[in-house]
Amino acid sequence: MKFSFPLTILLLLLLLQQTLLSAMADIQLIKNTCKGTPSSSLCLKILLADPKSQNADLTGLALIGVDAVNNKGLEILEQIVALKKSRQELRPALDHCAEVYHAVVDADVPSSRDALRTGVAKFAEQGMADSAVEAQVCEGSFGEHGRTSPMTGSNNAMDDVANVVRAIIRKLL
Amino acid sequence: MATDLEHATSTIYSPLPDSDNGYHPPSSERRRPIALLSGIFLSMLLFSSLIALILNQHNQHDIDHVKSPLVKPVSRGVSHGVSEKSNSQLLSSDVEVYPWTNAMLSWQRTGFHFQPPKNWMNDPNGPLYHMGWYHLFYQYNRDAAVWGNITWGHAISTDLINWYHLPFAMVPDQWYDINGVWTGSATILPDGRIVMLYTGDTNEEVQVQNLAYPANLSDPLLLDWIKYSNNPVMVPPPGIGTKDFRDPTTAWLGPNGKWRVAIGSKVNKTGITLVYETTDFTSYALLDEVMHAVPGTGMWECVDFYPVSTTESNGLDTSVNGPSVKHVLKSSLDDDKNDYYALGTYDSISNKWTPDDPNLDVGIGLRVDYGKYYASKTFYDQNKQRRLLWGWIGETDSEAADILKGWASVQSIPREVVFDRKTGTNILQWPIKEVEKLRSKSWVYQKVLLEPGCLVSLDVGLATQLDIIATFDIETQTIEEADAGYNCTTSGGSFSRGAFGPFGLVVLADETRTEQTPVYFYITKGSDGVARTHFCADQTKSSTASDVTKLVYGSNVHVLEGETLSMRLLVDHSIVESFAQGGRTVITSRVYPTKAIYTSAKVFLFNNATGVSVTANVNVWNMDSARIDHFPLGQH
Repeated sequence: MKFSFPLTILLLLLLLQQTLLSAMADIQLIKNTCKGTPSSSLCLKILLADPKSQNADLTGLALIGVDAVNNKGLEILEQIVALKKSRQELRPALDHCAEVYHAVVDADVPSSRDALRTGVAKFAEQGMADSAVEAQVCEGSFGEHGRTSPMTGSNNAMDDVANVVRAIIRKLL
Repeated sequence: MATDLEHATSTIYSPLPDSDNGYHPPSSERRRPIALLSGIFLSMLLFSSLIALILNQHNQHDIDHVKSPLVKPVSRGVSHGVSEKSNSQLLSSDVEVYPWTNAMLSWQRTGFHFQPPKNWMNDPNGPLYHMGWYHLFYQYNRDAAVWGNITWGHAISTDLINWYHLPFAMVPDQWYDINGVWTGSATILPDGRIVMLYTGDTNEEVQVQNLAYPANLSDPLLLDWIKYSNNPVMVPPPGIGTKDFRDPTTAWLGPNGKWRVAIGSKVNKTGITLVYETTDFTSYALLDEVMHAVPGTGMWECVDFYPVSTTESNGLDTSVNGPSVKHVLKSSLDDDKNDYYALGTYDSISNKWTPDDPNLDVGIGLRVDYGKYYASKTFYDQNKQRRLLWGWIGETDSEAADILKGWASVQSIPREVVFDRKTGTNILQWPIKEVEKLRSKSWVYQKVLLEPGCLVSLDVGLATQLDIIATFDIETQTIEEADAGYNCTTSGGSFSRGAFGPFGLVVLADETRTEQTPVYFYITKGSDGVARTHFCADQTKSSTASDVTKLVYGSNVHVLEGETLSMRLLVDHSIVESFAQGGRTVITSRVYPTKAIYTSAKVFLFNNATGVSVTANVNVWNMDSARIDHFPLGQH
């Protein structure tokens, strides 16, 4: 039989289709994961921003989420340092905020990472739930000192991210 | 098709020999059907790939189009709204964190329950008695008040009440436990050697079982431990997930003189108990069949397997079996965070355990404790010939509060476990007798008549560390049917009044009872006229803080003909352990009052039943604190 040109093209197209289908499948896992989280758009944003999400399973996606909480926490800690210089009168509340965000970055994030990697997701959920709580605590501490918070956007952002990641982790339970 | 392709490639460079002598239709005609088919197939493929591409792009567009996250209202820390628990009971995702003060938080530390000075603790490990000392090891995080970096903490005691903290027994320093030195159990061999089997989480997050033993058996403190040089000794077998293989039990002797160890696991949603055999504790053989399995129960953690005598009141060594012996099989269910057990018989020849009542099999029947309680483990106390039970009591407040106060979790007071000869269908758990040595002043109240709606304040001095024993007399013959569908957990707690209940004690209550923790009996009568007794602990008003768990815990409890209703409470700051009918039903609660603390805490008797009066007899003891300290090693 002569060399079949159509058959080679067939093969190549089959390969192309397989690749496309599998890429779609990974997107599908991410979309399914984000469904049922408090903000699927935020969830997608977090996961798709990390190239590792393309090949990750559910645990991997949860770990990417925890990384996002960590990055947000570190960003907020820097913001607090800057605020302490420019807004001296907010010092007591900012000190409290620094404390609670250190709890997020130094306790909640490592605990959640360890728990996810070692397959005990229940402890990971607690860490993310607490991160959301700490954000609320920081926000509330301005009111307690009779001040308006300059960090509302950041605290809301942390609360949102932590709640989304917590919802992802709950799918592992 | 494949062979054609092979031929196709091999003929690329060598034209077909024109050797056919048969009929040749014109070549264009011959190729037409194949070409047509391929063409159709190709265009279908192209078309579907194109569709896939377009769809994908469309999805990407969807993603890009959505803008910033939802706008949320700013929360105020002080106001009390709908709360969320960052422990396992969830409500909404709006958090109102109570402004806990240092006074409130430091009050929460217990006076006579075992807990390390700070940080996170979970499962009790390897309890044993050796050369005059009781040893307790436990899962511990040396870095934070949340779970992580798990090491083995170590403490010793001569009386299971007053403890000395010792240095860590084991830390995660080997590839096979670098991600956690997890739960394990001790086996004391007939020649006195101690063998410790524990789960290690490896550098690749695989759960394996490792062997460790004391460096010096004649050291009563068992300070140093050696990990076997060829660990791990058991790795997940085929068919078992690498993250579904943990918590080895104490070993028991099989009929052929070999030792057997059980490890919980699961296959799909069926919880199982794997059993390994060994002679030297270094090489193991997995038995073909599991000891037992219960579908739908999920992963079995912290499996415990031990004999109880059906005729005597002493405990039994783990290897004992025989005609007047039943075996308890217990498991901590990962899926619902509760400890379950069942009584049954163990056939050591076939290594099969069979429940006495399959309807009350492990995971679907009795719970060890109906409150906040997990990862429990027994050991045989050869010193006093008792079977003793430890249980991990976690926090039910928010993690934020745990991080603030710097610690999380306590252990229960050790309980003696015996077979309930009167009912034959459950075990009894009772606080060890040694706890009674902490009793100081006694307050006795006899024949207190409680009419419907009655509340009586009991003067007991400082009411934050108490041992209370109360009995209640009630006439139930008079009313026909009442509250047949009652269930502690779905009831409204002590405010739901019925004909025969609730009545009992109220502890950790402030004067106006803005905060209170009632523990009560509630009797119901079905249409058959048979009375059922429920035993509940009500946390719905235990605190004005909203970031704590506020459930009603409990279950029904057997009360036999002629038995008096009795309950015992160990109140110790933020923990209340409640025992009904001598330990037939047990409930452990964690409570976090903001007002009913220190000298403001009070005790009441109450009867909220509408149809009967109750006569109570109560004995309350103030409890001294235990001495829980670091061991003065310099002088050792």
